[in-house]
Amino acid sequence: MASHRPVVEAENRLERFNADRERLLAEVERRVVADKVEDARAGGDASLEYVLNDVAYCEMRRLEGTPGADRWRELSRRLLGMTDHDKREELTSLVRYYGKDVVGNFDPRVYKVITGIGPKLLGFVFNPMTSVREGLNTLRNLDARIHADGEVEVARTCAERGTIIVTPTHSSNMDSPAIGLGLLRAGLPPVTYGAGKNLFSNPFISFFMRNLGAYRVDRRLRFELYKDVLKAYSTVLLEHGYHSLFFPGGTRCRSNVVEKHLKLGLLGTSVTAYKHSVRDGAPQKRLYIVPATINYRLVLEAETLVDDYLAETGKNRYIITDDEFSRVGRMVEFFRKILAHEGSVVVRFGRPLDPFGNDVTDEGESIDRAGRIVDPASFVRGATGEVVDDDQRDAEYTRALGRRLAAAYPTLTVFHSTHLVARALYDLVARQAGTRDVYRLMRAPQGHLEVPVDEAVRALGALRARIAASGKVGAEHPLYAGQTDAEKLDDAVRGLSTYHTRPIVQRSGSLFQVKDVKLLYYYQNRTAHLPPEGAA
Amino acid sequence: MTTTFTRADTVGIVGAGTFGSALGAVLARAGRRVIVWSRDAAVVEAITTGRASPRMPAAELGPSLTATTDARELAAGARFLVLAVGSGTARDRARELGDVLDGSHIVVHAIGGLASPTNERVSEVMLQGLPTQKVGVLAGPALPADLANGEFSSMVVASAFDEVIAEARRLLNLPPALRVYGSKDLVGVELASALAGAYTVALGICDGLGMGPGPRAVLVTRAVAEASRLGVAAGAQERTFAGLAGLGNLLVRSTGDRSADYLLGKRLAEGTSLADHPTTEGARAAQAGVELAASLRVRMPVLQGVAAVLAGTTSARSVGRIVADDVAALE
Repeated sequence: MASHRPVVEAENRLERFNADRERLLAEVERRVVADKVEDARAGGDASLEYVLNDVAYCEMRRLEGTPGADRWRELSRRLLGMTDHDKREELTSLVRYYGKDVVGNFDPRVYKVITGIGPKLLGFVFNPMTSVREGLNTLRNLDARIHADGEVEVARTCAERGTIIVTPTHSSNMDSPAIGLGLLRAGLPPVTYGAGKNLFSNPFISFFMRNLGAYRVDRRLRFELYKDVLKAYSTVLLEHGYHSLFFPGGTRCRSNVVEKHLKLGLLGTSVTAYKHSVRDGAPQKRLYIVPATINYRLVLEAETLVDDYLAETGKNRYIITDDEFSRVGRMVEFFRKILAHEGSVVVRFGRPLDPFGNDVTDEGESIDRAGRIVDPASFVRGATGEVVDDDQRDAEYTRALGRRLAAAYPTLTVFHSTHLVARALYDLVARQAGTRDVYRLMRAPQGHLEVPVDEAVRALGALRARIAASGKVGAEHPLYAGQTDAEKLDDAVRGLSTYHTRPIVQRSGSLFQVKDVKLLYYYQNRTAHLPPEGAA
Repeated sequence: MTTTFTRADTVGIVGAGTFGSALGAVLARAGRRVIVWSRDAAVVEAITTGRASPRMPAAELGPSLTATTDARELAAGARFLVLAVGSGTARDRARELGDVLDGSHIVVHAIGGLASPTNERVSEVMLQGLPTQKVGVLAGPALPADLANGEFSSMVVASAFDEVIAEARRLLNLPPALRVYGSKDLVGVELASALAGAYTVALGICDGLGMGPGPRAVLVTRAVAEASRLGVAAGAQERTFAGLAGLGNLLVRSTGDRSADYLLGKRLAEGTSLADHPTTEGARAAQAGVELAASLRVRMPVLQGVAAVLAGTTSARSVGRIVADDVAALE
């Protein structure tokens, strides 16, 4: 139920970020060092010697064969002779070093460019004009390319009352700018977020990311100290009221399915941050988790991602550095051909949750599953009202929150024509070949990969009816729900046949010919949470 | 000298039935403060003035045990609660309690059954009705009569939260009368405990028919095996079913005529009509277990046999051969 009370325009708290920067860094340094020193009392793996050695070892391995490794070799050599004071000094220096590496920046001037003339500028940059008319059309359409909807009003109320953490699905490196523009269109404030350091390799995108509150996450640094710095930084940001964004799925989803198994990552810092606020006597500093889906008509890196998924190397290559995102030409192509389609990216926001996975009312009050208002602070309190530290309890709360997010994503999914048509064609091809197994279909004879147009129209109609009847698996793109089945087919085939290196589907007379089973599988996967017809 | 009891050291018991009363008696005997909550004012009056629980008159109730009909008093006086009611009322009691609890409370249930009519585990029903997420289960071979008599008993507490396990052990572990062990397998302990009642009916039938120790041993073994299969399909750990909540529970309930489930099985074997018997937790669990098995596509010949006898579609005398044939066909 929508709230009727007026909601003020969301405050851009990032505007004060640069003034806060040093204070935030100092707080991160204080907390991480204090925790490590405290933990070190237990000795063993928690000792400072072990912590420092872990950093040195991991860094030496990462930088092996480069001059950068010398510093870490030298630290490793010095460790045995260090006094406790020396170790503490070294620890402090490392925490400061990694903190500075992580910390973001926010330049209001860049934000103004992006939110004001930015779209128009971007349009010119990415649209080498073949004619003045085409260029002007692009400028006019750019604003409409990102469509944002969903529970935006209650999300705005929560952003006004407390701090929001936007938690979208993750399928492309374009997600960060897409959600950024989605927030803007929804009247929600800008957020700070951790972006893979590899993304900063694209100079153009890097410039904006560096100046729009993105902080750097170097996934190559796998030692505990670095993770502690990241967690502390995220926690401190939340405690200071900076709206944030986490991708609970971790890295980009390789298969394009709606994420079910969430890694959660930094999401657990929401419980920690709220617990600290309660302990500091400020339980009213609420935190809200806003689920969202980002739905692309076509995905920039689809080819690389699905190859990676099918090669089953996803686990090993979870930092892809050589995909379409790193090729400027390919990005230009993306902006020109894909984003030229109105509403080609839909950001749908869901109803906010509290850090314990409870629903909230329109006014941002936590409610239990029976609909009663509950005090979120009670979730971290003990028998006498004291705030209790319990990492296992907090991890369990975060898992509960993750389950709620995973349950929300399918209902928030928006299907573009490309998803629906890919699914309808995949179902027909699978029936002809007698298998849904993509590896077998990739080897199927061409005859099995041809579908009569009229059959495709019927299958698409039936699929649309099933989705509409279910009401729980997602919904069609709101701007195109009125398309006939034939129109939707034409629209999808236009997209599926023009952007990627080779066409996915082509029409030949009265037949559709599937030319790239892998990518057809990738796009139909967005509907994979809808079981095949007749399946239990 | 007056003893000062803290909220942290108090155990709240929801329900003054046989198990709730017996557990309260053990705890109070050991000096714990216990608050028993019952909706029945007569029961509360009997405990308060007569120092006896109507459902468990033999249980000696120490002075540190009090009773109330006021749920707010229970919630304010104890953070740790044991839900000890029948599976049929678990949903309503959880919802009622939910009005007065908050996110800091810990609630473990001691219900050896699945919640009707949905056949959900009781902890799932609790999560729907309570604001707190810190829930767990208490199960094992501890019959109320044994507890009340102070005989050696053991139970297991399971929860996803370490805090729930730690608090249950801190407050309930009172050796030698009661030892409480911990487990993270919430699903397994709940299912093992619920199914143990159903298989107790089967053992009652077996003994009532005068079958010897050989068939009895086979039945126990098959029961543990098929309960484990269902548990694994539901996300539990296999070994839980051979532990206190599973095999331990089954053995204690089917030894001597001390369990309603066992007595029900024996009378069914004697040819008594089910209409003459009150429905037990085990009987309800048999039907619920069969439905759960069907939804998870797990074959459970023994449980199906028990359910068929309870439903009156098969006689107790012929069920043994049918089950044996089904098991042989399955393996």
